[in-house]
Amino acid sequence: MNARKITLLGPQGTNIFILLIFLFFIFISWFTLYTLTDFQGLEFDVDNILTRQVVFSVASIIVFFLLTYLSIDNLQNYANILFFIVVGLLGSLYFTQPRLGVRRWFDLGPIDIQPSEFAKVIIVVFVANYLSRNLNKGILIALIFGTVLLINFQPDLGTALIISFVFLSMLLLSNIKLRYVSLLLLTGVSLFFIFLEIGSRVDNINIVTQYQISRLNEFFSAELDFSQSQSRLLISSGGLFGQYFAAENIEKIFVPVETTDFIFAAYAYNFGFFGILFLLALWGLLFSRLRRILTVSNSDFDKFVIAGFIALLSFQIIINISTVVGLIPVTGLPFPLLSLGGSSMVSIAVIFGITNRIFIENNITI
Amino acid sequence: MFLNKRYNLFALFLIGFFIYIVSFLFDLQVLSRDTALSAIDNQTTDTFYITAPRGDIFDDQNERLATSSMEPHLFLNLRKIDDNNIEIYEQFIQYNFPDLDQDDFNKLFINRNNLEIVGNISTFSALERQKLLELDAFEIFDFPIRKYNYDNLTSHVIGYVGKPTSDDFDEFPHSKNTLQVGKNGLEKYYENTLTGIPGEIIFKGSEILEFTPPQKGNDISISLNIETQKIVKESLLQGIELANENEDTKDEVIRSASIVIDVNTGAIVSMVSLPDFNPNQFINGISNQDFEQLNRVQAFNNFAIQGLYPPGSVFKVVSYWLAENEGLFPEGLNSRRGRVDCKGSLSFGFDDGSQQVYQDWKEDGHGRVNLSSAMQQSCNVYFWDIALNIWRTYEGTQNESILQNYAKDLGFGELTNIDLPFERNGIIPDREVFEEWTVSRPDLVRPEGWLGGDLMNLIIGQGAITVTPIQVANAYKTLLTSTSSSPYLNLEASDNFKLKKYNVSDEFIDFLKNDLNLVTNKNGTAYAAFEVMGRKANDVGGKTGTAQNPGEKNNTSWFVGIDSVSNPQHVVVTVVEEGGSGSAIAAPISRRIIQHLISSELTPVRYGEITE
Repeated sequence: MNARKITLLGPQGTNIFILLIFLFFIFISWFTLYTLTDFQGLEFDVDNILTRQVVFSVASIIVFFLLTYLSIDNLQNYANILFFIVVGLLGSLYFTQPRLGVRRWFDLGPIDIQPSEFAKVIIVVFVANYLSRNLNKGILIALIFGTVLLINFQPDLGTALIISFVFLSMLLLSNIKLRYVSLLLLTGVSLFFIFLEIGSRVDNINIVTQYQISRLNEFFSAELDFSQSQSRLLISSGGLFGQYFAAENIEKIFVPVETTDFIFAAYAYNFGFFGILFLLALWGLLFSRLRRILTVSNSDFDKFVIAGFIALLSFQIIINISTVVGLIPVTGLPFPLLSLGGSSMVSIAVIFGITNRIFIENNITI
Repeated sequence: MFLNKRYNLFALFLIGFFIYIVSFLFDLQVLSRDTALSAIDNQTTDTFYITAPRGDIFDDQNERLATSSMEPHLFLNLRKIDDNNIEIYEQFIQYNFPDLDQDDFNKLFINRNNLEIVGNISTFSALERQKLLELDAFEIFDFPIRKYNYDNLTSHVIGYVGKPTSDDFDEFPHSKNTLQVGKNGLEKYYENTLTGIPGEIIFKGSEILEFTPPQKGNDISISLNIETQKIVKESLLQGIELANENEDTKDEVIRSASIVIDVNTGAIVSMVSLPDFNPNQFINGISNQDFEQLNRVQAFNNFAIQGLYPPGSVFKVVSYWLAENEGLFPEGLNSRRGRVDCKGSLSFGFDDGSQQVYQDWKEDGHGRVNLSSAMQQSCNVYFWDIALNIWRTYEGTQNESILQNYAKDLGFGELTNIDLPFERNGIIPDREVFEEWTVSRPDLVRPEGWLGGDLMNLIIGQGAITVTPIQVANAYKTLLTSTSSSPYLNLEASDNFKLKKYNVSDEFIDFLKNDLNLVTNKNGTAYAAFEVMGRKANDVGGKTGTAQNPGEKNNTSWFVGIDSVSNPQHVVVTVVEEGGSGSAIAAPISRRIIQHLISSELTPVRYGEITE
């Protein structure tokens, strides 16, 4: 065991690759946000986006290292408790003051906590534990369905959808019969449209809000949402190499929530198509590294957790980019480790921390 | 059981997704980039401006006189209104704003290219506001509400704001971007200081892209003292009531003005003009009926700077100064001590042989008067004698208009350039003016033009001369302090308001103070009005004026007072249109104001005596 101990950074060392790629993503996020501060850089001001992100990043790095102290056995033991805590937090959101008609955050002064960000990670751990123990999948499906409904009512359609997708993917990877997964997928899609129909007819039912309906109606009427048409233009003006390196100066156009959900547009504007390829290649590199666990580890829990994380991060990236370029309606999901936001950063740090520990326990340090 | 084979399938599925997205991005960033760039070029935005809160106005004790508060208002984005949804919005607005009258309601929907204010929603609950916001075309922004904390009391000084018209656009180009522009008073004069920077709402089509909040305008502090202002208005109202009780003319006395000016600086301590109005009425839109009613009584005129009256005997101070400075006394006299015998009338022959008789206001005459007692008792004969002397000495020469030149030098016939809009300058008539009028306004003058009789009239402030109360106040200030300047309200007024040296000898100032003091003491024309002050009257001074008006109109009542002859601080000028004798009405009003200025006990305005 001592041979693995290469740094002070955890009781059993750390995986250099995962640590470096984690820090590198954070650095890209800082650089992108720096361009959005009109190159003003850091200021001692809670409203300065770069300052906020640096503070969130420090918290995330601390969380990353703390998580390497948590053994996978313990994580597996706590999986059920964590799940019910998260469900409780999601439920208690209903007692908070709605903001812009939405109950999605706990207001803690200068920062807000968005529990649904953590719910995503914990549901992966919970489902991995459940599937690796080969328990009754009917109960699992019911539990996750209930949680998804709870998140949808906040309302937070984006998170609800991504949890559904991740859950279905993990189910697919278990020994469940494929036709059940197809049946589940079909039921889910039909339920979605039924809710949509009910929501548009009955004003008082809060299953799908007017806001969501108008978003979706806009989408199905093939007319691009205004913010999406703007972000699309912003991405286009990035070109092959990006405006950050170009001499020509294209007048900046307005994109709403440019620092959070639409930050990918700003990244694409600054660093162009090659910048996007580079960013996605980094994620691809990470995923292909993670895949090693699936062949090396003997523990099904490890495999389900890693596969769940890959699904979670991939779907989040796919859905975020699709939103920003206008392929799907606006859902309000951040880009992992790029968007400004404490809850999102820390929850991704949890993913990297757990992954790091899994690698260490499987004797993979590079 | 984790199935690795299924994972490979799943990974392929994810890779497929990523490839699709990357190819889509390649199309966006490379293949169709030029189309996007031209689309960006064709994108135009336009801007709607949100009125900024105006700067506050404070009095000399830092009392807030005017302020702006930001209150939430419902706005209607008319670019999102079409024939399909207009009914919904009409119903919503009618239901939530029942006070909105039909005209305003219809006007809302006329310009389909704008943001329109529907109404103030500061009384709406959070839930009601949220309900409104569920409709796409409704927006909530803060809009400034101007509030005048002292209502009528400051109406003419502070003025009021209103929606800009095309005239305002010419005068203040920035008013195109605001819904509030100063229409009168300080609000107008200091429009550029008080108005802030409007907020900007940037539109792209019907969508709002960006909102920059407005920035408040700069505050101004003025020399007005609101406590004094209260006393001045009270005193004027008492005086008007008194005048109405004692008048037998059919016209009711309603118009009057009073000014308190700091003689050492030229700062206005109080300025009241009656009738007044409540500027807060303009904020929510004044009704036509109310406006017409106020307009009929000329409530919007600030008579302190716009009222044009013949000054009567308060104008004698000009010839008093001329006599001293030029050594030009009644014929045969060569000092202020020399006396003439006033028998109540003056008769003299003109060059054409005709005989003219001028009757003094006191039929049995003032007896033997010198310059001091002529001032004290307002003896017309003594001043007519001066006029005769001027006429006989200078008629037809360069110096013929020496009296007018003295008057103009003291600021009569010219704007004082006080920091208020719409000031009027009045007229000091002379031969030139009359010649011009024989052509342009023949109804006003005799065909013979300027005659000796006109100078006789002018020297006692009668005839064609008109002055404003502020000119009178400023002229007395000039003579009492040997400095001339424009009066001002804004304590940070520009250099134009600085004091300039005016050549008056200390000896003359002492004479003037002494003689003004005689007016308010025994045998003076204002003695009856000031008697109530007892020994405190020993240090005050003043000059009465009673100006005759043509036709049926009653006399204009004037008084100029100083609060202390030993150490003058304030000059008080009061005029009551058709108030009657200056000694009877304007003097006791001013006396009560002076009582306040020297912190003496206030006694009610009581009828003085009829003189002049």
